[in-house]
Amino acid sequence: MSKSVTVNVRVNGKAYTRTVEPRMLLSDFLREELELKGTHVGCEHGVCGTCTVLLDGQSARSCLLFAAQIDGAEVRTVEGLAQNGAMSPLQQAFWEKHGLQCGFCTPGMLMVATELLERNPNPSLEEIREAVSSNLCRCTGYYNIVEAVQAAVALSKEARK
Amino acid sequence: MKPPAFEYVRATSLADALQVLGRHGGDAKVLAGGQSLVPMMNLRVVRPAVLVDINRVPDLDYVRVDGKELAIGALARHSALHDSEVVARCCPLMSEAYRHVAHKPIRNRGTIGGNISHADPASEMPAVLAATGATIVAKSAKEERRIAAKDFFVGPMQTALRTGELVTEIRIPLAPAGQGWGFEEEANRKGDFAMAAIAATVTLAGGVCSQAALAVAGMGDRASRLADAEGVLAGKPLDDAQIAKAAALARSSVKPDASYHADAEFKRDLVATLVERALKAARSRCK
Amino acid sequence: MTAYIPKHIPAEGYIPPSRQREKPKSDYKWIGKNMKRVEDPRLLTGQGGYIDDVKLPNMAHAAVLRSDRAHARIKRIDVSKAAALPGVLLVMTGEDAKKVTGPTAQFASPPVVQYCIAVDRVRHVGEAVAAVVAETRYIAEDACELIAVEYEDLPVVIDPEAAINSTGDAVLHPERGPTNLAYRKTFSFGPVADDFAKADLVVERKLRWPRSGGQPLETVGAVADYQSGTGKFNVYANSSFVNYVGWLVGASLGVPAHKFNLIPVTTGGSFGSKLFPHKVLTLTATLARACGRPVKYLEDRIDSTTSCDNHGSDRLYRCKLALKKDGTILGLKFQVIDDYGAYLQFGYGTHGNSLCQIVGPYRINSVEMELVAVMTNKCQQGAYRGFGSEVTNWMIERMVDAGADALKMDPFEIRRKNLIQPDQFPYVIPSGNVYDSGNYPAVMDEAVKIANLEKWKGIQAKGRAAGRCIGIGVASCQERSVFSATEFWSLNPTDNPGFQLTSSPESTQIRIDPTGCIQVTLGSPFWGNSPETMATQIVAEQFQTDPANVNIVYADTNSGFNSTGPGGSRFTVMIAGAIVGASMKLKEKMLRIAGKMLEAKPTDLEFREGKIGVKGVPGMEKTIGEVAIFAHYFRLSLPDGDEYSSGLEASYVYDHPLTTMPANDRSHLGIFYPIMGHMCHLALVEVEPKTGKIKILDYVAVHDAGTVVNPMTLAGHIRGGTAQGIGSALYEHFYYDEAGQLLTATLVDYLIPTLREMPEQIRVGHVETPSPFTEYGIKGGGEGGRMGAPGALSRAVEDALSPYGVKIDELPLTPRRVRALVRAKER
Repeated sequence: MSKSVTVNVRVNGKAYTRTVEPRMLLSDFLREELELKGTHVGCEHGVCGTCTVLLDGQSARSCLLFAAQIDGAEVRTVEGLAQNGAMSPLQQAFWEKHGLQCGFCTPGMLMVATELLERNPNPSLEEIREAVSSNLCRCTGYYNIVEAVQAAVALSKEARK
Repeated sequence: MKPPAFEYVRATSLADALQVLGRHGGDAKVLAGGQSLVPMMNLRVVRPAVLVDINRVPDLDYVRVDGKELAIGALARHSALHDSEVVARCCPLMSEAYRHVAHKPIRNRGTIGGNISHADPASEMPAVLAATGATIVAKSAKEERRIAAKDFFVGPMQTALRTGELVTEIRIPLAPAGQGWGFEEEANRKGDFAMAAIAATVTLAGGVCSQAALAVAGMGDRASRLADAEGVLAGKPLDDAQIAKAAALARSSVKPDASYHADAEFKRDLVATLVERALKAARSRCK
Repeated sequence: MTAYIPKHIPAEGYIPPSRQREKPKSDYKWIGKNMKRVEDPRLLTGQGGYIDDVKLPNMAHAAVLRSDRAHARIKRIDVSKAAALPGVLLVMTGEDAKKVTGPTAQFASPPVVQYCIAVDRVRHVGEAVAAVVAETRYIAEDACELIAVEYEDLPVVIDPEAAINSTGDAVLHPERGPTNLAYRKTFSFGPVADDFAKADLVVERKLRWPRSGGQPLETVGAVADYQSGTGKFNVYANSSFVNYVGWLVGASLGVPAHKFNLIPVTTGGSFGSKLFPHKVLTLTATLARACGRPVKYLEDRIDSTTSCDNHGSDRLYRCKLALKKDGTILGLKFQVIDDYGAYLQFGYGTHGNSLCQIVGPYRINSVEMELVAVMTNKCQQGAYRGFGSEVTNWMIERMVDAGADALKMDPFEIRRKNLIQPDQFPYVIPSGNVYDSGNYPAVMDEAVKIANLEKWKGIQAKGRAAGRCIGIGVASCQERSVFSATEFWSLNPTDNPGFQLTSSPESTQIRIDPTGCIQVTLGSPFWGNSPETMATQIVAEQFQTDPANVNIVYADTNSGFNSTGPGGSRFTVMIAGAIVGASMKLKEKMLRIAGKMLEAKPTDLEFREGKIGVKGVPGMEKTIGEVAIFAHYFRLSLPDGDEYSSGLEASYVYDHPLTTMPANDRSHLGIFYPIMGHMCHLALVEVEPKTGKIKILDYVAVHDAGTVVNPMTLAGHIRGGTAQGIGSALYEHFYYDEAGQLLTATLVDYLIPTLREMPEQIRVGHVETPSPFTEYGIKGGGEGGRMGAPGALSRAVEDALSPYGVKIDELPLTPRRVRALVRAKER
């Protein structure tokens, strides 16, 4: 039985220990306890996907997780994508292809795209569309987001050469 | 929209979980995938005093052939079942249905045990279990029960589970050789809950239909078999005319609820259309 | 310019001369380029700085208790249990708030009074009944549940036609009148009776446009900090209006304008819904002052759907179109009943707005509108991408299609017959607005070409032969840009016109620092438009310098100048005007100083590649940095006189480039939205008659937004706007049941389209007819595709279902509605 829970997690490779109320949502844990503001909150009922993070390598909606339940897990957020101050090929591709307008859905989109490309560095157009269709965007109409992921595939291939 | 406070228990074993559930009864809810439960908690329409996190309970996340059945652990995540070759081989109806279930981030967390325990009338898996005549294994601190799918789903968001009971396994008869399957759904948007969904299996022998199962979801009540429609197919050639008869019977036998998105008459239309499509798809897959 | 001016409008001097300084040309270095956005790096790395990212020391959190019923008197509120909950700092009811804070700002005349927390009664589900401030949002929500409200239910009015005749307790604002009719007036422009008498044919339709709303992924929020020692508020908020009317919130709070500082933040989408979130601003500031700590209030999604104050238009039209049998359209008459919901913050501005393009792109001679505005127990209307003109666009296209069908004419042919021709601009429409430039036949030609219409027709024919329902729809629509303030009040009762503001400027301050970097201060915020990118490209063009040398910052109300902000597709045009004005002042000074440095006449100098040099003499030049440092630090090396004062900075206020007053008798409304973009949308759809499902097989959108600053970002608005148009046409509906419950309050039921609901491609084309009135000839394009998609889709579905004889006159075209239309014909 606990009214408060101690959580040990690794977020973007860094270890954190915090004691929180059981009901604290992972989205709030990241934003308020760890001051990682890149994960955004759009609906808090699991529909929009804005709050998507990677939990042990798999995409998950952080508004539907309690920090308490992910003790010992590995979380990755948008803040973990750039390396040494340089944007990842995926972020670069979003920039090149105008894959964002207001930027609010963008971290969630980047995380589902990251999951996709880590599972399969050479996804088909249909697989890209399937991944992007999990998340809502109100600004772009989605087309440029798909183009951005395709461009990321190409950029990553170039980088590996 | 923040959830109300609760006490949190992290179960480390099945026995542990069952003991806690037994002790707290109706005050406790199980946290598995959380994809159905947590939205309801955030909206404060559900407010358990105790949340029992069973995600660490070992040996509940598997899918394997066990004798003549496909055995799926209650904590198997939708995404694993969606991608599973074993499921595709042994219960292709389930694989087909998974094409309509939610989105990847939800499937990564959501579990089949949690999904059927929640028993949303518009959810796809209950229809699959009803169509395949699956058995649900439920355990409490005191006993283990085997509940047939037709008895498990009792009403909207209502199952035969007793207080203190947990689904531990789902057992599905292996799809017989040559059986065809079809799963058709209409939803507001791809991935949304079904306005209507039909799960169908048929087997042909000697030019006639020797087996037909039709289950419906989305009618606002439990997933259920369409016995009248199945009855009209038995022993007859599975031609378009017979399929049309089955569809018409299905339409008149359902009692759909109504919502803004779909009124009863629309749902009846959908049932008829989807029964036709599902049966035709199943027929084309018969070997 | 040979202007077309209708006979009922005085021709002499009607159109003022153009103030355009930068003429459009074809060889820009930066304008017209697909430059990557300046805004993106911080957004891509999770460093956006949105309102929920703002954290002040000792900050507390607010939550709002909202009414669960649509219309009721508040008899009693017991907050004792809530106030006693550990972690709660204060609980405030409407009566508490009213003691210290007046009604929220609004633009209707006569006013409709609204408070940030309901006083005496609630008028819609979701209206605020009490607010709690606590250590965390979690605790604040716990406390809300402990507040006990005793209501006395009042009759609920949901049907707009019934609202006209409401009486007694069903009247929402009894002080305003005996019914829920807020306004009824007929406006006539041109010889309507004559035109209808001359007609060979009059087609009639009844049309219903449903309420939807912007619902950006980020809701409205504010963080308010009140310094009791100085009586000053500093409020961070994702409001679009910052340096325009922010001080009105200070007025509600009872403080002078300089005591209310509104600080802009990066904003996650608006589409109109964050133009002026006065309720959230007023509430949050009130709570901060009352509790003595900074307070953050962020709407959650249910707060937003039920109480955002920005639901879109909710209209019932009865229309008549007068035609000759050769397809010439003579006149348009309509009654529109608009259900404004429980309050009237923008007055009937959404109808003033649509009168700016009320004849669409067609040479319609006369227009009559009977406006019936009603109030019901629903969330208040506000702004949603189009601000009412997207609805009249749909209405006009439905009527033109009805005319085509009645005359058995091809929908393209009837449109071409009536389009305003390229040699008729500037064109004055019957309501008095001007269309500045355009080539509508060319836009349609381009759309037809990109679609390969013959191929589409082949697909349709083949599909029909196989029993499939495939349809083609076309919509030819206007996209007015750069709103002028007169639209807000021009329809007000002439005996009670309200505050007749006529200013809607945009300002900027440009400074060049001693290193030669150019800093531009914007008085209006970012919300997904691309103000920094637009400003950077235009400044780079003005100074012929690399965009990397340009830096953009945003001003709060302490330091900002008059800036109306982004809305009505106006920002790029207006900031261009402000930047050109400020740049010209600066360049004049720099040429003067460079002239001293190079011993040359300023008229012999030019800006080239980051330098100022002698024309025709390569190498005889100074970098902008060299000129800048000289200007900043070497006063005694320059002559006396203010024109050589130290430093390089200039500010400029750019007023609306073309706006005139309405006639006193409202026989015309003056010029108020003349920078006129245009679009032609084509849709190819398949409808499944058995399920009512619509699939968009192909989609083309060709837009004319004048000179385009960044084609990539404009295409973004075209596609994004089209996505919202698809949403409004097929998926989205704020639906209230008879008890006034909003059945579509969560994102499970309010159906924002995902990628799957979009066509695989929206093929975008551009045509450019520069404006003669704006700098560089730019026109606005931000409202984009939403202005045209509903018309194209409605026609395409109607065409697809023509074997059934189905007519489309109500949206959204959900599967349920479409199936019901087909079923009715099957019987």
